[in-house]
Amino acid sequence: MHNSDKENSKTHVYVGMSGGVDSSLTAALLCEQGYRVTGVYMKNWTQDLPGMKCPWADDLADAKRVAVQLDIDLKVFDFETEYRDMVVQYMIDEYKLGRTPNPDIMCNQEVKFKLFLDAALADGADMIATGHYAQTKAGKLLRAVDDNKDQTYFLYRVSSAALSKALFPLGGYTKPQVRQMAEARGLYTAGKKDSQGICFVGKIGIKDFLSQYVTITPGDIKDITSMQSVGRHDGAIFYTLGQRHGLDIGGGLPYYVVGKNMDKNEVYVTTNLNDPSLWPKQISLTHMHWIGEPYTGNRVEVRVRHRAPLAPATLSIQGLDAKIELDEAIRAVTPGQSVVLYADDECLGGGIVA
Amino acid sequence: MNKAPLYYFDHAAATPLDERVLAAMQPYFTELFFNPSSPYAPAVAVRREYEAAKDTLARTIGARGSELVITAGATESINLAFKSIGGHVVVGATEHQAVLSAAKFCKSASYVQPDNTGLFSAELIARTIRADTELVSIALANNELGTVQPLAAIAAVVERERQRRREHSEVTPLYFHSDASQGLGQLDVHVARLGVDMLTINAAKVYGPKQVGLLWAAPHVQLSPVIVGGGQERGVRSGTENVAGVIGFSRAMVLASEHRHGEAKRLSTLRNTAQSMLEAALPDIEIYGNQKKRLSSHLSLSLPGVDAERLVFKLERQGVYVATGSACAANKGTRSHVLEAIGLNDRQINGSLRLSFGRLTDEKAVREGIKFIIAAFKQEQDRVGKKA
Repeated sequence: MHNSDKENSKTHVYVGMSGGVDSSLTAALLCEQGYRVTGVYMKNWTQDLPGMKCPWADDLADAKRVAVQLDIDLKVFDFETEYRDMVVQYMIDEYKLGRTPNPDIMCNQEVKFKLFLDAALADGADMIATGHYAQTKAGKLLRAVDDNKDQTYFLYRVSSAALSKALFPLGGYTKPQVRQMAEARGLYTAGKKDSQGICFVGKIGIKDFLSQYVTITPGDIKDITSMQSVGRHDGAIFYTLGQRHGLDIGGGLPYYVVGKNMDKNEVYVTTNLNDPSLWPKQISLTHMHWIGEPYTGNRVEVRVRHRAPLAPATLSIQGLDAKIELDEAIRAVTPGQSVVLYADDECLGGGIVA
Repeated sequence: MNKAPLYYFDHAAATPLDERVLAAMQPYFTELFFNPSSPYAPAVAVRREYEAAKDTLARTIGARGSELVITAGATESINLAFKSIGGHVVVGATEHQAVLSAAKFCKSASYVQPDNTGLFSAELIARTIRADTELVSIALANNELGTVQPLAAIAAVVERERQRRREHSEVTPLYFHSDASQGLGQLDVHVARLGVDMLTINAAKVYGPKQVGLLWAAPHVQLSPVIVGGGQERGVRSGTENVAGVIGFSRAMVLASEHRHGEAKRLSTLRNTAQSMLEAALPDIEIYGNQKKRLSSHLSLSLPGVDAERLVFKLERQGVYVATGSACAANKGTRSHVLEAIGLNDRQINGSLRLSFGRLTDEKAVREGIKFIIAAFKQEQDRVGKKA
């Protein structure tokens, strides 16, 4: 899979080190494989939120601890402005439009595999590496060995050119193996908990995060069939298609969100879990991105959210748009989220649910 | 303390609780739990023990128990001292962050610059005092450099200004406050000999419990409470008395006073050994702080060009614990204002380490620990050199 140590020693790899176990082991493995390795902490977000201290300084210190342990340099690349403009602002704007965006995908597309890659190359790197669970081969993106951890869903908007400059040393391992290998090497971060959810939102949750940036107005929750009000919501922005929890409606059968009208600030619900809007068979995608050339076949497998099982479907491309005809309906395909396409182990690209 | 770290060189940050102090405190968490304000006999007994401990504690600084206000540490004591002041204050630029922050809440503040060893000139302080100055605050010893300040000389210029005000029938009061926490167990902290009107000390720096401190104020000083409530501590600091804390503080201060001379001598021998070893092995090393007027425990140094944060992380793996003034992530990005104030540049500050020795330090620990530090410095120097 990788070249001999002697060959590798000519390659200078800049590793994105977040202070977590995955990127720590990534750096350690590259060192062992003989690469010339420099660690880079990407300073993307440092803002505290109400009731939550942003752990960036601790994470940076942890990344540096591991760098010291591996006897490699650790540099800090500051992308705070770009991250705020391209990832956080995008997320807020999408929510305002009533959609459910995926900021991690945007972060990979704009920050890690564009800004970081360019800055690293300009600084003397030959390649970059990250702790993503994914594999590459000749500019192609392949699923990770660990089906449960596979992160290609988050990487589908990265370009083939960027992938040909990227190493994912963890792609061949499972998460438990990674923990074990980190422990075996005595890496400081071996026992550190994985971060949860969107990194800058952290534990406080998307609702509290958005409340900082968007004016929230309460409104009606209506039954989609009767169009009668069945309760109140504290801002339509917070509701996502298919959502059951968090609806403050007492008694009777549970309600599910089947739609919303941002202009009217109304959320529509149903008690019918089999409501057709919860189970689409056809999905319209926009902003299609292909890692290589647009796919010429028409049978693909799709993933509608991270970790969702692959679902067989038929694809028809119309320029930057595409239509997906699912063999079997999937529950709650949410506008703003991504649908990622696969052929066997290869991640082909994908698009955003209209 | 059966699992004490081998090479703990950061006694200025925290000290382990002395086992004798812990033993003295223990009953007050359990069978002697009573509220000292309660009316029945066992509670009254606890009150008497509390007051007796305060008296003992006060004697270690040459004061009376009734002149002490027990607080939750030096930071609170400093806040209490400063919040009692209405006018202008004069503080050292190298004072602890608690003093600098408290000064910001005063009407106005002047910051006195030290010389390049961290020492303050009493005459410069005299020139900084204005007609509306109500407080001068200078710590007995600087927590980073170990430089010991000429408090008696500063007290004399404060008294000179008071004399002038009396002669001119000016009624503005002027007090002299000092935080002596860092000198405990090494220096004389007798309030009359120091010449202060208010003194802050902290149990946590002297092998006592954390979150226990005191403010001593001379009888002529009028304190305004920061924390109000049930009127404990003569109404200046409300809240049920921290009985166990004060018993511990008192015991810790007695132990420290008894062994002060011997311990100071022992520590300065160890510190000098460490300094000689480092200077012999590392020709580029710079030593900071006043070499004549310095705490026995302290050694402030730098190897300019080296990244001290990497040293801290390298050394922690060998059980060597040291502090740095570098503006690194491990310090939450805060560069030492003390090192800045004595005129050091970024390279010097980022390569800085502070070693502070104490009861956990013996000669073996110094000899072995310093070897690790020298090796780490050399490795980092090589690494930096290779890149250049």
